[in-house]
Amino acid sequence: MNELREKVKKALANRRVSWALTHFADNYVIAREKAYAGKDFATLRQKVAQIKEETIARLEELAEQFTREATRRGAVVYRAASAEEARAYIADLARAKGIETVVKSKSMATEELHLNRYLQQQGLEVVETDLGEWIIQLSGQRPSHLVMPAIHLSRQEVAEIFREKLGVEVEPDIGRMVKLARRELRKKFLGAWMGISGANLAVAETGTLVILTNEGNARLTTTLPPVHVVVVGLEKLVPRLVDIVPVLEVLPRSATAQILTSYVTLITGSVPAVDPEGNYLPQKELHIILLDNGRTRMAADPVFREALKCIRCAACLNVCPVYQQLGGTFGAVYTGGIGVILTAFFTGFEEAAQLQELCLGCQRCREYCSANIDLPGLIEELRRRVVAKKGVGPAARVALAGILPRRRLFHTFLRTAARLQAPWVKEGKLCRLPFFPELTEGRALPPLSLVPFRDRTARLPRPQSPRGKVLFFSGCLIDYVFPRIGEAVDRVLAAMGWELVHPKGQGCCGFPVWQAGLPGTFARLAQQNLAALAEIEAEAVITACPTCTVALKYLYPEVLKGDAKWAELARVLAEKVTDFSSFVWERREEILPILAPIRERITYHDSCHLKYTLRADRAPRELLLAGGAELKEMAPPELCCGFGGSFTLKFPELSRAILKRKLQAIEGSGAETVALDCPGCLWQIGSVFSGKAKHTAEILAESLKYPLAL
Amino acid sequence: MAEREELISAFSAQARLLGAEVYRASSPGEARALVKEIIESTGVRRVALASSPLLASLDLIPVIEAAGAELVKGSLREQAETAEMGITAFELAVAETGTLVHDATELDTRLFSMLPLVHLALVPVRGLVANLEEALNYWLTRGEIPGYLAFVSGPSRTADIERVLTVGVHGPGRLLIVLLGEEEVCSHE
Ligand code: SF4
Ligand code: SF4
Repeated sequence: MNELREKVKKALANRRVSWALTHFADNYVIAREKAYAGKDFATLRQKVAQIKEETIARLEELAEQFTREATRRGAVVYRAASAEEARAYIADLARAKGIETVVKSKSMATEELHLNRYLQQQGLEVVETDLGEWIIQLSGQRPSHLVMPAIHLSRQEVAEIFREKLGVEVEPDIGRMVKLARRELRKKFLGAWMGISGANLAVAETGTLVILTNEGNARLTTTLPPVHVVVVGLEKLVPRLVDIVPVLEVLPRSATAQILTSYVTLITGSVPAVDPEGNYLPQKELHIILLDNGRTRMAADPVFREALKCIRCAACLNVCPVYQQLGGTFGAVYTGGIGVILTAFFTGFEEAAQLQELCLGCQRCREYCSANIDLPGLIEELRRRVVAKKGVGPAARVALAGILPRRRLFHTFLRTAARLQAPWVKEGKLCRLPFFPELTEGRALPPLSLVPFRDRTARLPRPQSPRGKVLFFSGCLIDYVFPRIGEAVDRVLAAMGWELVHPKGQGCCGFPVWQAGLPGTFARLAQQNLAALAEIEAEAVITACPTCTVALKYLYPEVLKGDAKWAELARVLAEKVTDFSSFVWERREEILPILAPIRERITYHDSCHLKYTLRADRAPRELLLAGGAELKEMAPPELCCGFGGSFTLKFPELSRAILKRKLQAIEGSGAETVALDCPGCLWQIGSVFSGKAKHTAEILAESLKYPLAL
Repeated sequence: MAEREELISAFSAQARLLGAEVYRASSPGEARALVKEIIESTGVRRVALASSPLLASLDLIPVIEAAGAELVKGSLREQAETAEMGITAFELAVAETGTLVHDATELDTRLFSMLPLVHLALVPVRGLVANLEEALNYWLTRGEIPGYLAFVSGPSRTADIERVLTVGVHGPGRLLIVLLGEEEVCSHE
């Protein structure tokens, strides 16, 4: 764990990587949007997902059909069960033919085999021909991105690599360096006897391989050398030729915001070639290695089979706030969130077990996934399996499994902590905590409240003749850190005529426990809260924390579905749960008449759970606008604040790096106030933003014309 | 016909967006004049000409010579290596994506489109299709799919250094497309 944190710190120290990745990411989102103009991404990715689902269900059958068809057209198809088998096949082939020089076009499958190292050990010269890959190979590094392997290098660094490794002086001018690469690599192409490539798709119906490139290096790799070896993962199969269309429509758009790559090559069987000595071969040798290496095992897994739908577009990397900071450090051979999952099956569970910790669960990748994969869900499942296998760390066990589920103990703990923190509280802010100095460094966190929300409810205003009763599920952060949000919620709802009840038996919603991979403990917390909330008949259950909302609305029914009684209770509750802003916006006629104009320039921060899971990001904006606020959207609009619950404790440096970017976006909007609907984000953003950071409920409460007397 | 015109203008716009240069010729005579002009203006001296019924029907060798260039000689590899311009024919042009499609199983077609820095592509307008699916169906309905089917959209490009777009990295840095009008359509197979 600490080893990982050290790696993270090291990666963060290289600002060049995050600079390149964040800049690219900002442009990417806009360019991608344009590339999808006139196309319906939701429908397209659904099509891709369907095709790939069929592939996964018929994997073996399609592999056989592909083998038959490709063989009929003159290819040799080899089914490699493991990386070793694939490597050995290629090395044997080279040896048998006396081949010494190999050119390669970019292929993640061969990275997975660590093929270059292996072949070089056998005495072969192996040259990567994708410009980025070649630079990486020259410099002895590892690709940092699925699509753009050298994105982390500057032109000066590239010139330096050329100077050092090729012995040629070249100005750090991109056009000149590209020319130099063309010249150098052309020699390699012309002298090579074997070309190794990957493939983006393999069509079972026709035995066709589909390869997408922009540079054209795959065309040369598959044309010039007299022997062509293709390494393709089983999951790249699709049943029919027409199935490649949706993938061709999605892959370039999602990968590099292109309508189509410069080249799409369909190779079916063996074709003519001329070898480096000028001999014409009517039928060159085509060897296709269908690689398993964990894929069948993955296909047999009821949960993780979903990851085989991946078409390697890297959209999930491009939008991932963690990847943007860490680059290749968030992953192994395959990087980013999807990399973590693939690593678990293709290269090493242990490595993946560590890496999954780095996902902060922001859900953004799911929005962009070209194959409609629930990546955050898969990472959560991986985490559960890791925990089931190895348990959580001792500190986490005490906190999450020992204290959190025992509501009284937990609350006593919080009250005690609230008193003990006094020495570190200055002007209402927490400064330099003794055990977590990184957490408070350079910022002022809100302290625990001396009087939690649950002790304040007796003094809250109540409407005279209420329209009805609603329950308030406060969650820990509002109860113990931001009782002012609870009070604001109450003031607004009371002014609208609703009686707010805060059932005392409620405790933590359990999300941290769920997130830590402890579904059993989470289920116990769910039952406690359900019992507390079910006691009182009410119109709705209001939350002002989207994470609690997600837990109550989606996770409780999920985790309790095995128990009929609890499942029913969870289902009934889930229907009643609604976030504060949505509840108020639905009943806007009850509030708008009693709202004085909001005279603030406001920018709205999208909390991940509110936007991506609840899809309730419009309601607060509508409310603020209808209330008269001047709304200034920030650019880019959707960035995570880096809170991620326990993530901020585990990787404080990373969390702060992500927060810094958020802060830039907020400040760039020119707004004086940042509005949000999540106390977690408020905790994070409020600690660094010099303007005002407020929950939407607070802004509304401040603008009430006739606040009810306390 | 109106529909074809729409496809042509959509194709041309999209291909230009990708950095290709698009021309039109409505008769074989016009096409020959255009090819001559293109060779002259690009200033290439060594040209490789692929064999194809379409290209043969245009009788381009005298045109190349008249433009002051010469046809490269030697083995196919030598030709492709030394040529500054490759001339090849395409069967289809995809309007939506600005893509050219050809059966490049024959080695000369393949090498001459890939290796030289300038690629002159000729495609008959009756080969225009709306989208990728139509293009694939064209091949599917003609029986077996060719051994090497190539889709070309604009010149060879890279953005691997600092995300700066640069053309001509491994393949052609210039792609010139001549759309051949209906009338001249030659004894195509
Ligand atoms: S959920 Fe967020 S942090 Fe995790 S992989 Fe996806 S984008 Fe990255
Ligand atoms: S997981 Fe989805 S977004 Fe990520 S690379 Fe695969 S298909 Fe693309």
